[in-house]
Amino acid sequence: MIGEISHLLSLSAVLLLSLVLIFNLFFSFNQSHSNQLILSMRLFNQACWLVFISFGIYIYLAISDDFSIAYIANHSNSQLPIFYKVTSIWSAHEGSMFLWIVFLIAWSFLFINALDKNHPLKKPTLLMLSLIILGFLLFLLITSNPFERILPFGAIEGADINPVLQDPALAIHPPMLYLGYVGFVISFSFITAYLFHGDFKLDWEQDIKNWSLVAWIFLTIGIALGSWWAYYELGWGGYWFWDPVENVALMPWLAATAFMHSLFASSKSDVLKTWTMFLGILIFALSLFGAFIVRSGIIDSVHSFANDPERGLYLLSFSGSITLLALSVFAYRLPSLKSSKLVVSGSKESFLSMNNILMITSIFSIFLGVTYPLIIESINGDKVSIGPPYYNTIFAPLILIAAVFIMISVDALWQRSMSLRSLFITMAIPTFLSFVSMYLIWTFASVFSLLAYIGIFSGLLIIFSYLYRIINNFFNKKYINKGSAVAHLGLGLLFFAVSMNSIFSYEKNLNLAPGQSISVNESVQEFYFKDIRVFSASNHDVISAEVSLLHDGKEISLNPQKRKYATRGQITSESAIHASFLKDTYLTIGDQLENSSWTFSLKINYFIKWIWFSAALMVLGIFLTIFKKKAS
Amino acid sequence: MNQSLRILIILLPIFILVFFTKILLVDEDLKLSSFEAKNFPAFELDDLNGRRVQSESLNGIKLLNVWASWCITCLVEHPFLTKLSKNNVEIIGLNYKDSKSKANSWLKKHGNPYLFSIYDPRGDLAFDLGVTGAPETYLLIDSKVVGHIQGEMNQQKWETIFMPLIQQATQRK
Repeated sequence: MIGEISHLLSLSAVLLLSLVLIFNLFFSFNQSHSNQLILSMRLFNQACWLVFISFGIYIYLAISDDFSIAYIANHSNSQLPIFYKVTSIWSAHEGSMFLWIVFLIAWSFLFINALDKNHPLKKPTLLMLSLIILGFLLFLLITSNPFERILPFGAIEGADINPVLQDPALAIHPPMLYLGYVGFVISFSFITAYLFHGDFKLDWEQDIKNWSLVAWIFLTIGIALGSWWAYYELGWGGYWFWDPVENVALMPWLAATAFMHSLFASSKSDVLKTWTMFLGILIFALSLFGAFIVRSGIIDSVHSFANDPERGLYLLSFSGSITLLALSVFAYRLPSLKSSKLVVSGSKESFLSMNNILMITSIFSIFLGVTYPLIIESINGDKVSIGPPYYNTIFAPLILIAAVFIMISVDALWQRSMSLRSLFITMAIPTFLSFVSMYLIWTFASVFSLLAYIGIFSGLLIIFSYLYRIINNFFNKKYINKGSAVAHLGLGLLFFAVSMNSIFSYEKNLNLAPGQSISVNESVQEFYFKDIRVFSASNHDVISAEVSLLHDGKEISLNPQKRKYATRGQITSESAIHASFLKDTYLTIGDQLENSSWTFSLKINYFIKWIWFSAALMVLGIFLTIFKKKAS
Repeated sequence: MNQSLRILIILLPIFILVFFTKILLVDEDLKLSSFEAKNFPAFELDDLNGRRVQSESLNGIKLLNVWASWCITCLVEHPFLTKLSKNNVEIIGLNYKDSKSKANSWLKKHGNPYLFSIYDPRGDLAFDLGVTGAPETYLLIDSKVVGHIQGEMNQQKWETIFMPLIQQATQRK
């Protein structure tokens, strides 16, 4: 009964949103008619509340173990703690789509109500948002209904959550990522509304700037958390795999980063306006493409949901239609948009647009990497896989060029060209320092990899130029954009950490019986496998190894585990990690061999924590930017 | 230039849409041959009776069941496998991390539904196959791995997972 109420509320939201669209599209085109807008806003807000309440009830259903609802029966269990009963809602397709839509509605609701009631774009934006929400609500209710009942008798017990997802990170990684993805519905709808409306004297940048920055923060945190989860919790042994689903999250991120930059340029000095609009549309289009890739089952990946072509077709046609709608208006209005100023070469904008081009190039390269196997397969049926070497090779030179432009633009001015002399001065010191540091690293490292050294050099270049600038400006009491400095330091540190990690990290596979001890290398002097224990925990059996290491003169004890879950019979591996400032010691236990010895995989990962620290710096930088804007 | 750019902005997404629609529609019938099927890994092993196993013996439609005498769930699914073999489904065993004597006495005690059982005491072949534990069951069609079930094999899984795959494969021929 309660389930039906929840279902009915979502259905009523569909009705209300359809009313908003019908009412505005067919009955009046008079834009100054304010009562019509007031009524539409009320209908829209009520539709939003209906879905929020419907989702609230759905959470209650999950907590109260209503296993007559098929989705809850398949993904939850009465033995689960309440925390996991709630997170199990987004552990598979239907529920996570529901959450996705709730977030979509939340962003739209907040934005449209924050917009001034006399804003000329309020009505077209409202219509765009209603259309998008309606399309996805219908997708949810028609192809992936989370409210479906098991009739006539419900299940007595739930099938349990996938044990891999029985992790606190599940509570936060998907929601953050979704908040980021759907947050760009605002720039998408607002820009499309602007293009529809056709009054190009209006300023649109300020209205969506902070919304886009906040969405960018969520997207960045979401991606970083995903990689943190894979490394620390899931025991995948790495932080980034160029998996198709990681790639489809990276594409909107790159587009959003490019958008952010050109948004600054376009609001500061009236350049790149058309380009910025295109990016604003592109981000959400890429987010939708991501949703399509993950939910259609077209690509095999760790993240894919069950394969269902019907869902794929619906998602593809709906996402495609609204993207095409936006791009068509854009193309139609293109000739009348040519009013923005030209970029002065040698100005800050010019370097910024160069980096914009680089980001688009990387988006295109990733897109090609994702689709190339599909293209080849559709032509001759061969399976090809595109892995890290492709991406590393493509990204290394792009990163270097980007770093050089970032370094130059630190000192460049808006709208004014830069003299050759000051260009030389800006570049000389950071370049010199980077070469010296790289030489020092070179003497320490035993491996040579051109790509990794390009990455290290690029990272150092960015770090040194900003550090030099900060120190310089501090003594000269000159102004520096703190947000930008912190965010770019984060980026430089990211390049540096990723490349250092790839050079210095190594892996050893070991083979020991309990009680045995061996010396691995001069750094890990002793590896002592003390004992192995088998015991039962609440819903799984555990095999736990006790290992102690003498690593760089320090004694570390580690307990890698294997778990077997009762309900699903699934086996998961829990790595043991010891973290220090420079490196992580990462130990996984493998199989038991015939002679009662066990296999271990020991990984020493350098600079890995720095990767997430640099992501945090970038997020902090954008926070500073938002609050600086608020203060002024 | 401007005109062609405008056309490109619209044509490129349409092209991408058409491409993915095509993939989605083709996906349906290709699922069998290209999305799951991979070649059975090369191996050189004996069966439980000490006879060398030929890779030709994997031709045709066969089930490969990973089992061991220490595995409790294997005992649970044993009656169903026996039923399948009586209905002329050809099942090959992969005896996993077990000893020959224990395995043979297990078969003697509970009955032998297998044509033969490959003896893989160190789990080498199992490793190449991607086995995570016993029991697991693979559907092989002409030495290609077409389907895969982890955990207990039963009537429901047989009907919903393997039967459709077998039907698709026979229709193709």
